[in-house]
Amino acid sequence: MLRITNLTKHYKGSNKGVTDISLAIEPGDIYAFIGHNGAGKTTTLKCVAGIHGFDKGEILINGTSIKENPMLCKQQFAYIPDNPDLYEYLTGIQYLNFVADIFEVPAKEREMRIEKYANAFEITASLGDLISSYSHGMKQKLAIISALIHAPKLLILDEPFVGLDPKAAVVLKEMMHEICAGGGAIFFSTHVLDVAEKLCNKVAIIKDGVLIASGNMDEIVKQGESLESIFMEVACDDKTN
Amino acid sequence: MIRQIKYLSELQLKNLYGLNVFKHTKDKKVKQRTIGLGFAMLLVVLMMVAYIGMAAYGYIMIGMAEVLPAYLIMLSSLVILFFTVFKAGSVIFQRNAYDILCSLPVSQTAIVVSRFIRMYVENLLLTVIVMLPGIVVYGGMVKPRISFYLIGCVVTIFIPLIPITIATFLGALVTAIASRMKHKSLVSATLMILLVVGIMLGTSSLSTMEDQFNIDMLQNLSKVLLAVIAKIYPPAIWFGTAMVSGDFFMCLAAVAGGIAVFIVTIALVSAKFHAICRSLYSTTAKHNYRMEHLKKTSVLGALYQRELKRYFASSVYVTNTIVGPISSVIFSGVVFGMGLDTLQTKMELPIDIEGAVPFLLSVIFCVMTTTCTSVSMEGKEWWIVKSLPVRTKELLDSKLLLGLSLAAPFYVVSEILLILALKPNFIELMWLIIVPAICILFSNVFGITINLKMPVFNWENEVTVVKQSASAMVGGLGGCLMVLICMFLVMFVPAIDTNVIKLVICLILAVVTACLYRKNNTVNLQELG
Repeated sequence: MLRITNLTKHYKGSNKGVTDISLAIEPGDIYAFIGHNGAGKTTTLKCVAGIHGFDKGEILINGTSIKENPMLCKQQFAYIPDNPDLYEYLTGIQYLNFVADIFEVPAKEREMRIEKYANAFEITASLGDLISSYSHGMKQKLAIISALIHAPKLLILDEPFVGLDPKAAVVLKEMMHEICAGGGAIFFSTHVLDVAEKLCNKVAIIKDGVLIASGNMDEIVKQGESLESIFMEVACDDKTN
Repeated sequence: MIRQIKYLSELQLKNLYGLNVFKHTKDKKVKQRTIGLGFAMLLVVLMMVAYIGMAAYGYIMIGMAEVLPAYLIMLSSLVILFFTVFKAGSVIFQRNAYDILCSLPVSQTAIVVSRFIRMYVENLLLTVIVMLPGIVVYGGMVKPRISFYLIGCVVTIFIPLIPITIATFLGALVTAIASRMKHKSLVSATLMILLVVGIMLGTSSLSTMEDQFNIDMLQNLSKVLLAVIAKIYPPAIWFGTAMVSGDFFMCLAAVAGGIAVFIVTIALVSAKFHAICRSLYSTTAKHNYRMEHLKKTSVLGALYQRELKRYFASSVYVTNTIVGPISSVIFSGVVFGMGLDTLQTKMELPIDIEGAVPFLLSVIFCVMTTTCTSVSMEGKEWWIVKSLPVRTKELLDSKLLLGLSLAAPFYVVSEILLILALKPNFIELMWLIIVPAICILFSNVFGITINLKMPVFNWENEVTVVKQSASAMVGGLGGCLMVLICMFLVMFVPAIDTNVIKLVICLILAVVTACLYRKNNTVNLQELG
């Protein structure tokens, strides 16, 4: 589904970025991406989403290179950033309809999906209001609905649970399972290690732009341990030493 | 209170002209862009200094030295008024950090004063650029007493107060009215346009000398000009007279008057500050939407509709870019109402401008197109387009379509008025239609090219992009300058048939436009922002 090979991206005039990242996300995977603030999670996700270019390496989505054919790749995934700045001059429904138009989703299908997801997140009544009147959580819900509107096979999410109320977080987890059950995959960053441990079958830990651990959750988190203790051990070695 | 004002003012001034970002950024592109903008601004400043120096020299040479200070004061005040009225509302009532400021133990007067100080510092620089060359030329040629320089320095410091006060009062009034309306941005833009047109018509009617102008007055031009300045902007006469006559008392009286008006305005704005901010930033949520039938649109159609909504949601964007098209209709209306001959006589133009009318109309349209800043206007939402399957061509076409569709109705009305007024023959008619059409297309495509070269996405206030960005400056003036050059070629190359020159110009502009259009569409959006 998603193959990242030796991804290297550095920002000009800065030593920040990521170096030699390699990951493989298969259909059915819910893949957690964890690390400190500034470790390189968002940079990696933005490279995958085609928002940032990169210096070296390759990103393939279902075998297609994001560099060579970004249009075909973008048709297959959806991306949500950590802070969803949406078009505040549009109403919620106008924004969803705009995204559906871009993905050329047939009218009947978009109506059906919007109704389903908006009801699940309980924001149907607010869809006629300007996005500028939305709270952070409502914007996050709208961004999630817009990401699901074209039924993507791959979801790339940056801190998707931030700002969501407990019920919406449960709904999102159910939706993630539903997508994976249908052969899709999810690659998301999070700081909530507890959620990552319970929700995901795979995990990658990044530190200072370098991947320091990745693989199946069972292999990384051994019996009697928790993801949190593993993370503290491998990613916060300055504290443990 | 003084300490609060000091801290808040420092905060306001810290990133003036992007200096703080320039100082701390590690991004070479941002540094290069700021240096480029600095050079562009320096060029404009040098041009202004040269123009004012020459104008001052001319005034003194024809024996109007006593008018010069008042003229320069009026000029700088009108420039400040014209530029500040557009942005006063958005600077004083800027949303940026409003919530944080409100939660801090600072008074609303301190917030308002700090924002006034920011505008004052910006306009003081403008005043110095206008006044300094005039004072230097005057000093060198007239050799005034030391009091001229002393009063000149005092006057220069206080010149911005009154125009800023008037601009703020008008800007705040427009903002306050708009804040009570449902479509705030649209109402604000409409009121602002009416205000600017009113200022333009008001000053031009006040400066008309026709009625009282006679041969006797030719011998005393200074008095005539002083009378005109007194009608347009009386404080300029007070300050100017104080400078020329060395009258400290008059200077102090004028300064005291300026400060008093300034303080009263600050008090009024402070009293209503939170109320206006609350009205502006509060949004009404009906919370009563029910799912209904949704219409499917093409990708280009969806992007174009989004551009339209984005455009009309920003009063600064609308007022800054609609002035050109509206002015074109005013120009055509004046030609239609007065006739080109009468207009030419009234403007005392030494040459026949009939052949240049298509270019004159084009220049007005090209002053500031929406496309010069339309990419930058994506701002923090730029990630959306970048992550969606949108081709560069589709995105840029939607921006181009917005620019063209805004110009189209004004172009049609202007053309009809000019055709009725000029009654052109077939060839003239062709040029009258084709030249502006090609120039409008060129300036819009050129605007996109410039904005793709100099995009700014990390802005907090639309004013930064629409009024102060390098792309707004280069794109807005560049297209205009190109058409002006074409116009001068048509008017001042008499050896060749003007039809041939027009044909060559149109062909060159069409080819350049096509090349820029193709080049724009090859830009990789990933590399922007």
